[in-house]
Amino acid sequence: MIKVSNLSFSYSEKAQSVLADINLEFDHRTTAIIGQNGAGKTTFVKLLKGLLRASQGEILIGDYDVKMKTAAELARKIGLVFQNPNDQIFKRTVLDEAMFGLLNIKMGKYTAEKLAVSALETVGLGDKLEMNPHDLSLSEKKLLCIASVVAMETDVVIFDEPTIAQDDAGKEIIRKIIQELKKKNKLVMTIIHDMDFVAENFERTIVINKGKVLLDGSTREVFSQKEVLNEANVEPPGITQLAEKLGLKKTILTVEEFLQECAK
Amino acid sequence: MTFLKSISLFVDRKSFVHDIDPITKLYYILFAIIIPIILPSFTISAICVGISILLLLAAKVMRKTLPVYSFVFLVLITVVIIQGLFRPGNETVLFHLGPFAMHKEGLLFALTIALRVTNIVSAFMILVLTTKPSTLVESLVRKGMSPRIGYVIVSVFQIIQEMMSTMSTIMDAQRSRGMETEGKLLTRIKAFIPLLGPVVLGSLINTKERAMALEVRGFNSRNLKTYLYEEKTFPYSKAIQAALLVLTIFAVAWRVFL
Repeated sequence: MIKVSNLSFSYSEKAQSVLADINLEFDHRTTAIIGQNGAGKTTFVKLLKGLLRASQGEILIGDYDVKMKTAAELARKIGLVFQNPNDQIFKRTVLDEAMFGLLNIKMGKYTAEKLAVSALETVGLGDKLEMNPHDLSLSEKKLLCIASVVAMETDVVIFDEPTIAQDDAGKEIIRKIIQELKKKNKLVMTIIHDMDFVAENFERTIVINKGKVLLDGSTREVFSQKEVLNEANVEPPGITQLAEKLGLKKTILTVEEFLQECAK
Repeated sequence: MTFLKSISLFVDRKSFVHDIDPITKLYYILFAIIIPIILPSFTISAICVGISILLLLAAKVMRKTLPVYSFVFLVLITVVIIQGLFRPGNETVLFHLGPFAMHKEGLLFALTIALRVTNIVSAFMILVLTTKPSTLVESLVRKGMSPRIGYVIVSVFQIIQEMMSTMSTIMDAQRSRGMETEGKLLTRIKAFIPLLGPVVLGSLINTKERAMALEVRGFNSRNLKTYLYEEKTFPYSKAIQAALLVLTIFAVAWRVFL
């Protein structure tokens, strides 16, 4: 679905490379990109989205060569929810905000409203359509931003730190959205520091460290490599660490798995 | 990861001009402005400009002055042309520009203005290019300026940087959702207008939060505060300040008695 070949990037000619020689292929598996701050994760997704231009290498999204398109043209193909909701709210009502992207990609007003309302209902904002987005709580603003991008029905959806400011109910909504998108055969990617959420919801995990891919595999495989994760200053989820300390051989990812394994 | 671009013109170099404390540099600016007023001769202005240029060369910041000088000279050229052609009292024709005559009197007057402006700009550049804004503000606060005014000055530098970074993020978010911001001038102008709402609103929200954060961290406390940086001192500061004062008195005496 996405093919990244020999990708390198630096913010200026004199500056050190933020990403160096990245080669990755993305299929329909839900994918988490993890790593410490400054590892190059956000730069990587900005390159995928066409917001930055690669110094070297190639990114293909389906048949599209990212270099040949502007970020706005790529909006039909790939959606990105930014980390800070305050930087991505442009309209005066919740409904207008959710329709903003849809109208930009020249969708008819009726269809746009239908898709926007449906996405807003999914995130629990169906009863706040006429509210000013800035009157919402931080958690609701984040959900509004997610709904605004999900409504655009792009083939690829990238979430930057989706669980920030979310309580359990908010996380549950995001979990459901990810499952729904997966059912629709869309590629869901995230940049995230919440390892419990990664373990419970993502099939594939990529660890980026100092601009390079340090680990890439199934989430269970990745979280089983404690020493390599240490190198990237990444800790496995709490339940995985507890299971390991209790001497369980299998790499545990969820509380349910832990209980099952203990019951054996 | 985002990088904030600095809007300060300060150039970090090792030179004796950098070592001089900001207050002495302020004395120098005052001196460079006052002397050509007291002694309004072409030569005195030229000497002041010469001293400032020598100091800028010694500070190794001459390259950074070029864009500033270019802009100033662009404005001054228009002054020279207008004064040379149309100043009342123009008599001696030097040469012709098409149907218009360039006059000696207007040209000399314009050159005097140009020299004075260059002198003031050069003196200010010594301060701006060789002093960190925070060091300057802290020096002024030590001399009795209100810490609130000091904070306002320093925070302008921070806030403009932050606003530029926020604008770039907001533009990215708009492009992500299909709004074209690249290409023709008209497209860019169209994209700029919707940018203003979130930037201004975001700044207002930030201002409110910043004010509360300042309050929480004791900004309005009436106790004596500890300064963040050590006071910048230069061993010859007092001598330079005294010399500038003596030269000013000497200039006044020259003007009055000779």
